[in-house]
Amino acid sequence: MDLNLIEKILTILKMPFQSYLTIEILLIFILLFIFLIYNERRKNKKVKIALSALIIFFFSLLVFYFYEDMVSVLNEIIKTIMRCFYFPNIIFYILTAIVSLSLLIYNIFKKNNLKLNKIITYVFTLIHIYLFTNFISLAILKNISLIDTVNIYKNDNMFVIVLSSQIIFLFLVVYKIIFHFYYIKNEKLKNE
Amino acid sequence: MQRKSKNIKSQLFKVGFFFLIIGILVLISLPLKKLKGEVFEEMRLDIFEANINKDNTTINNVNTENLTVIEEAEEPKEEEDKKVSYSYIGQLSIPKINLKKGFVSKESKYNSIEYNIAIANEADYPDVPMGNFILMAHSGNAYISFFDKLYKLEIGDEASVSYNANTYRYRLTNIYNQAKTGTVAIYRNKNIKTLTLITCTHNDDYNQTIYIFEEI
Repeated sequence: MDLNLIEKILTILKMPFQSYLTIEILLIFILLFIFLIYNERRKNKKVKIALSALIIFFFSLLVFYFYEDMVSVLNEIIKTIMRCFYFPNIIFYILTAIVSLSLLIYNIFKKNNLKLNKIITYVFTLIHIYLFTNFISLAILKNISLIDTVNIYKNDNMFVIVLSSQIIFLFLVVYKIIFHFYYIKNEKLKNE
Repeated sequence: MQRKSKNIKSQLFKVGFFFLIIGILVLISLPLKKLKGEVFEEMRLDIFEANINKDNTTINNVNTENLTVIEEAEEPKEEEDKKVSYSYIGQLSIPKINLKKGFVSKESKYNSIEYNIAIANEADYPDVPMGNFILMAHSGNAYISFFDKLYKLEIGDEASVSYNANTYRYRLTNIYNQAKTGTVAIYRNKNIKTLTLITCTHNDDYNQTIYIFEEI
């Protein structure tokens, strides 16, 4: 942890030659790289498929050998997402409010936008910002410190407000993604 | 004709894709529910620990000089108790199997194995001298199977219970099975404070396992 820059670089350079296994891993990755570069000239479709299969095979082997670790990592990732959704810390919550606010302002000034899209965006963003404002005012009224996450979720009203605004934000994000793809697809069709 | 066949294929693909998504959702719903339970459990335990720390700070900060006693009416307290019925009053922890779970008071409607680790009606609380604190929970694969890893315990393993800002440490001294008949016989040393955990026997539908811990 307390290494200087040169020591860090030296460690990275020494790393592949620590054992036969690390040398093998290095060779495999160099071979993969050479194949990919060479195939850029040849543009052989079969080689592309074979290389993709090979990469997937390597990762499948990793999953097979470290199955329990992989499952626990996956569980932890899902739990982190759930924590962000059900019990977000104040920084994350403020960030979602900033995203909503930016979307609202962008929507106000954007020209050539569908009317229905504008209305839906207004509804979602305004509800989200309204709930966020309520959250802040409730914290001031009840004298709840926003730094301590546990303090926030001890209060049922605060929990319900945060959960509702997270649901609204999720709807907004999903709607925006679907609309974006639909819009791009339609634009492509028009151009064709 | 070709166009019509393409349309049918595309529609079949959409229907197949829809059912695939539904299937995946059904398959992952149970593990997701379990993970959601774990996330909520972490927060409840954090709240429980924060409350203990707050109580300790309050106790330490009480100035006994010039202390005046004010008698409080009973009614508001009862109302408060009902309102916070899901607040944990204590926590069971078994480091070996990474178990950390809170429990509610005997009077709470959430003191049931369908929600939590449940305290048996016959149990004494951990602060009762020579008492027996009895906890029960499901084992298996459901998201409420809080005792699903108890079968990994061996004699000598340790457990602890936090209750009323005190931690009581126990050591496992006896494990035995009994048929599921609706009643459980608990064999323990009545001169020592004990903790009893009861759950279904691992991979056995007809028996239950009783784990007896004695205070260290």
